[in-house]
Amino acid sequence: MSGTIRSVSVVWLLLLCLVLCRTLTGTGAAPICANAQAGCYAVSLANLFDRVVQHSARMHGISNDLHSEFEQYFLPSKNQVGRVGRNCHTSTILTPNGKENAQRMAREELTEVILKLLVAWRDPLWHFHRSMAHHHDFTNFSSDKALEMSDMVHELRKGVERVAEKMQTLGLMSDPVNSQVSPEALPPPDSGEWRRMKDYDLLYCFRRDSNKVKNYLKILKCRIVPEHGC
Amino acid sequence: MTVCARMRRDLGLALLLLLSAAVESDGMSPPGKPVFLGCRSPEKETFTCWWEPGSGGGLPTTHRLYYEREKLEGTHECPDYHSAGKNSCFFDKDHTSIWVDYYLTVVASNALGNATSGHFKMDVMEIVKPNAPENVTLQVMKREDNPYLHVRWEHPHNTDTKSGWVTIKYELRVKHRNNNEWKEYTSGTQTQFNLYNINPGEMYVVQVRCRLDHGSWSEWSNSTSVKTFNYPQNDKPFWILVSALSTVPFLTAMCILVIKRKYVKKVLLPPVPGPKIRGIDVQLLKRGRSEDVSNALIINQGFPSVPAWKDEIEDYLIVSDDVLLPDPHRKKKSLTVAAGFHLNLEIQCKESLGQRDWEKAEERKNGIDTFPPQLPTQKQLCPNVTFVHAEATDQRWPIHDAAAESTVQLLAPTGYVDIQRHKSMQEEADGNEMDYTRVNDGNILILQKDKFPGCMDVQRQEENIPEDYSRVKEVDGDNKVLLQRQSFSADSSCGEKGTPYTDCTNKKPINPHVPGPSKVELIGSGYVDTIY
Repeated sequence: MSGTIRSVSVVWLLLLCLVLCRTLTGTGAAPICANAQAGCYAVSLANLFDRVVQHSARMHGISNDLHSEFEQYFLPSKNQVGRVGRNCHTSTILTPNGKENAQRMAREELTEVILKLLVAWRDPLWHFHRSMAHHHDFTNFSSDKALEMSDMVHELRKGVERVAEKMQTLGLMSDPVNSQVSPEALPPPDSGEWRRMKDYDLLYCFRRDSNKVKNYLKILKCRIVPEHGC
Repeated sequence: MTVCARMRRDLGLALLLLLSAAVESDGMSPPGKPVFLGCRSPEKETFTCWWEPGSGGGLPTTHRLYYEREKLEGTHECPDYHSAGKNSCFFDKDHTSIWVDYYLTVVASNALGNATSGHFKMDVMEIVKPNAPENVTLQVMKREDNPYLHVRWEHPHNTDTKSGWVTIKYELRVKHRNNNEWKEYTSGTQTQFNLYNINPGEMYVVQVRCRLDHGSWSEWSNSTSVKTFNYPQNDKPFWILVSALSTVPFLTAMCILVIKRKYVKKVLLPPVPGPKIRGIDVQLLKRGRSEDVSNALIINQGFPSVPAWKDEIEDYLIVSDDVLLPDPHRKKKSLTVAAGFHLNLEIQCKESLGQRDWEKAEERKNGIDTFPPQLPTQKQLCPNVTFVHAEATDQRWPIHDAAAESTVQLLAPTGYVDIQRHKSMQEEADGNEMDYTRVNDGNILILQKDKFPGCMDVQRQEENIPEDYSRVKEVDGDNKVLLQRQSFSADSSCGEKGTPYTDCTNKKPINPHVPGPSKVELIGSGYVDTIY
């Protein structure tokens, strides 16, 4: 009797191990490598682009929602905003402001712009989320959205970097892009210009910038891999 | 002051008054403040703004739009006042920048003054609203029995979908022609859609709209309608259903009819009662033996058989004087009990008496001579015992009583005991009532005379009675017939048990007519007949 129990338990343990191993060695565990090397599985560029485009679209959607919520609570009068208006801390980054300008821009530059934007928003969003959590005026739903937003920025940046790598390996892009986008090249983010911004202005600026990122990524995608849904 | 000067002054005053009056009556004033109606970009590349001018002011008023832009120095005027209609300003691609703030103002001015509207701040990203989708086509697609509606459209012509600058999402809505309820569907980025839940014979109306990215929805396109066919196959399933439903009860009815065919036959074709002739055994006829058939037919006729009377002398019952003893070795005689025998006996009476008689008969087997004196009592107890007279026939029914055993078989309701009677007896047969006790279970037939005068009658008719003639007095058991010996004595012991009729003086020797064993066969006619 005890022997059968032991054998049964051993069998169950084996099964469990198999299942776990399968999940571990499943899609999540295999690293995505630029080249199809052994041990990792390669994602196509089109697939990568699709992912980052969808990611950026979702990010923009969240920022849109948060901004509308803020407008309900803290409706600033249109006249209050001065002629100069707000000054987003990312206004120093030169971005194409139209379709032709964006299409005329080289893909390396465009990628660089995207990455710059994403890098610039990492800290402010994280702080924004912290401040929202402290302020109990906002619902938990809004606070969750803020957290999600800041996470997405982080992940999107990684994704775009991966895309850039892929493009470089495929020869679609020249090499020095990455080095330009390295964090050291950027102005120190803790200059704190964004700290002086109010929450509402922060949201407004981020909504605009996420829209930019989404548009630029789509243009890149349709320029480089136009097969799917352009 | 001269009169002329005074007049000039008055004229001037009057003129002034007139002028002022004229001016006031015309309503000339500086223009009212214009109001911004809004701006719109149909494809995120250009945009247009509209305003509403204020009260006219009477004088020709001009409106000018000035704008300032983020990251752009200076104040600029609207590049195009005319392309988009009156009181509008159209910004073409060169003057449009996305993701920057515009500050717009409109200035209305006339001869008397200016009026400035408030600042209107906008970002092109926020005012995107595309045109409605174009060329909406609607088709009914046949696909076996599942027709569906195929809707197709095109993106608004001024949007650029190739470069990925904008992503268009579509929505459509459907309703029946006479209905007012729209049903909405999301099509995503597809420019076609299939509607599957449609009803045949209906008119459908479809509209499509779209939006760019997270912008505003466009207006609904113009209604496009189509009518679906009235499919004739609709009747087919109906008829199939009808026939299927009607088959089931039909089949059950047929089954019931088949199962109960006998009953149906009885109802529809009620059986004609066949001719039933009294005494004829149908089974006998069916057997088909000619002798049986002829016997059956003839015997049951019941002719008066006048010639039979002639032969009457020859017809007699041959009995022997021997005591009838139950002897299993002897041949059995049988006595038929015909159907004509009518007994109104109550069964209880019969049975009880029969039992007693049986017992008595058993006793008598062993030689008790006297007929049970309770026969008369039997008569009293069973008052309604009647006797149907027998008719003489030309049948012999000799009973070899002594040496043979007789069996009496009662053919239950059809049997009757037919006792051969003399003619003269027959005349008085009606008046004669003999009591017969008939017992069913023991098959005992006990004959008795109730009226002793009957005995007298018998005596009177002795002369005519042939010597060998005996009357069956009693059927005792299955194989015993007790015959009554006829005596001419007035002694009422004629009614007694008769196996040895020693009391009767007029004993006639009865020669057993039958040398050998004989038996009385029961025939359906009820005549005791001896069969050799």
